[in-house]
Amino acid sequence: MSSRVLVGVKRVIDYAVKIRVKPDRSGVVTDGVKHSMNPFCEIAVEEAVKLREKKLIKEVVVVSCGPQQVMETIRTALAMGADRGIHVEVTGKEYETLGPLQVSKIMAALAKKEEAKLVILGKQAIDDDCNQTGQMTAALLDWPQGTFASEVTIDGDKIKIVREIDGGLETIQINMPAVVTADLRLNTPRYATLPNIMKAKKKKIANVKPADLGVDLTSRIETVSVDDPPQRLAGVKVETVDDLVAKLKEAGNI
Amino acid sequence: MLVGDILIMLASFRHSTVDIRILRGLYRFIYTRNSDIKRFVMENTEIVSDKTLTPEIRLNLFTPNCQFWHARPDTWPFSDPYWAIYWPGGQALSRYLLNNPEVSRGKKVLDLGSGCGASAIAAKLCSASHVVANDIDSVAALAIQLNCELNHLEPIPCVTDNLIGSEPESWDIILLGDMFYDEELADSLHTWLQKCIKTHNTQVYIGDPGRAQFENHSIKRVIQQLAQYTLPESVREENYGLTSSTVWLYKPDV
Repeated sequence: MSSRVLVGVKRVIDYAVKIRVKPDRSGVVTDGVKHSMNPFCEIAVEEAVKLREKKLIKEVVVVSCGPQQVMETIRTALAMGADRGIHVEVTGKEYETLGPLQVSKIMAALAKKEEAKLVILGKQAIDDDCNQTGQMTAALLDWPQGTFASEVTIDGDKIKIVREIDGGLETIQINMPAVVTADLRLNTPRYATLPNIMKAKKKKIANVKPADLGVDLTSRIETVSVDDPPQRLAGVKVETVDDLVAKLKEAGNI
Repeated sequence: MLVGDILIMLASFRHSTVDIRILRGLYRFIYTRNSDIKRFVMENTEIVSDKTLTPEIRLNLFTPNCQFWHARPDTWPFSDPYWAIYWPGGQALSRYLLNNPEVSRGKKVLDLGSGCGASAIAAKLCSASHVVANDIDSVAALAIQLNCELNHLEPIPCVTDNLIGSEPESWDIILLGDMFYDEELADSLHTWLQKCIKTHNTQVYIGDPGRAQFENHSIKRVIQQLAQYTLPESVREENYGLTSSTVWLYKPDV
């Protein structure tokens, strides 16, 4: 088995941007909006680079699916210490309907092609909140999965994962090759500094088409509508406790 | 100095790339004389001696105290300043030469892809009879001159033509630090080096921190490990993902 790790990185609207819904409710406004790497993907990259620094793996390959702009996201991952990138070019209508199933098909195909030992993904993306890609990638590959990881330890061909579950932690051990998804507390991603950004420019990014991987990107999901959360109504100010009691009685609350 | 400050100020105001391009052009127009470029290099780097594998060599390098460390990489007015970083492969090579002065003593040495010139300087310090640095960046050539001065050496001649593929000269030694980040470059080097060895019995020394492009290249089958060094903390910070650097002797069957 090679000692190669495949990491998926997604370009999403920056977490600090206020999201606006398109007037026709078909989606959200993305034009002219600041984008950056999905924070959970940053954690996944960080973990892979850490494993490389511990010499437990030899190569970190980052993958991103989308138009030309995702190259920027791949470069960021390379500046964080990944070795090389793969840009899976998906544009136009296909990019609009690109979802977890399509991405997991791509990831599974690449994991086989690259003979990866491990696939690390963020547990979910902050734009669609799906939390499906890791699980589906594992299913398509028929590999074990360790989701919501907050601690990862490699021991030979086995991997121990501490998982964040409701109200506690669960520790599991699975065989590699495997799929791991990163939770928030797994690590703190490093910042890309100038020497690393410059060196990232020298690293290779291969361009791949989904068809080259034999992946069909047809989506069976139709977005019916995207809506803003309901607006909070303005409150009423009362001067005294008596006024408050009167108001509550009026509203039928007491 | 003044133009530099304006450039940095505008960059921090997030002006459009067009403004940056105009200013870069203006910058190049002003900094046409070598003495001006040298002054610019000195003003925008810091003298580093400790914190590297070769504290006995002083170099003008980027550090976090330099304004461009924090600036956007595209605000740098010349081609990417790879010479402003002391690369880990070059550090290992220079350390090896200084530890084993008999390797380069009295020899005719070429430092290919010289960057900051540290390996060429190391060979010179070990009394090599003739040392030539080769880097296709003309600013690197000036930086190498400055670094020679810092180490009280006569300036080492620097060739800025791409020597890979040219008719080989009678080099006793060729030094290659961090030249295997790209498979195509590695392939063309492989062919050229074989020719150098065949015609002049040249000894080829390679410094590489274990980049995947080098580790996976067929060249790995024809090299012999000479020394391995653990990278100091500050060097690791500049090279995310890398923790050690190795010196190899290239031994193809020619």
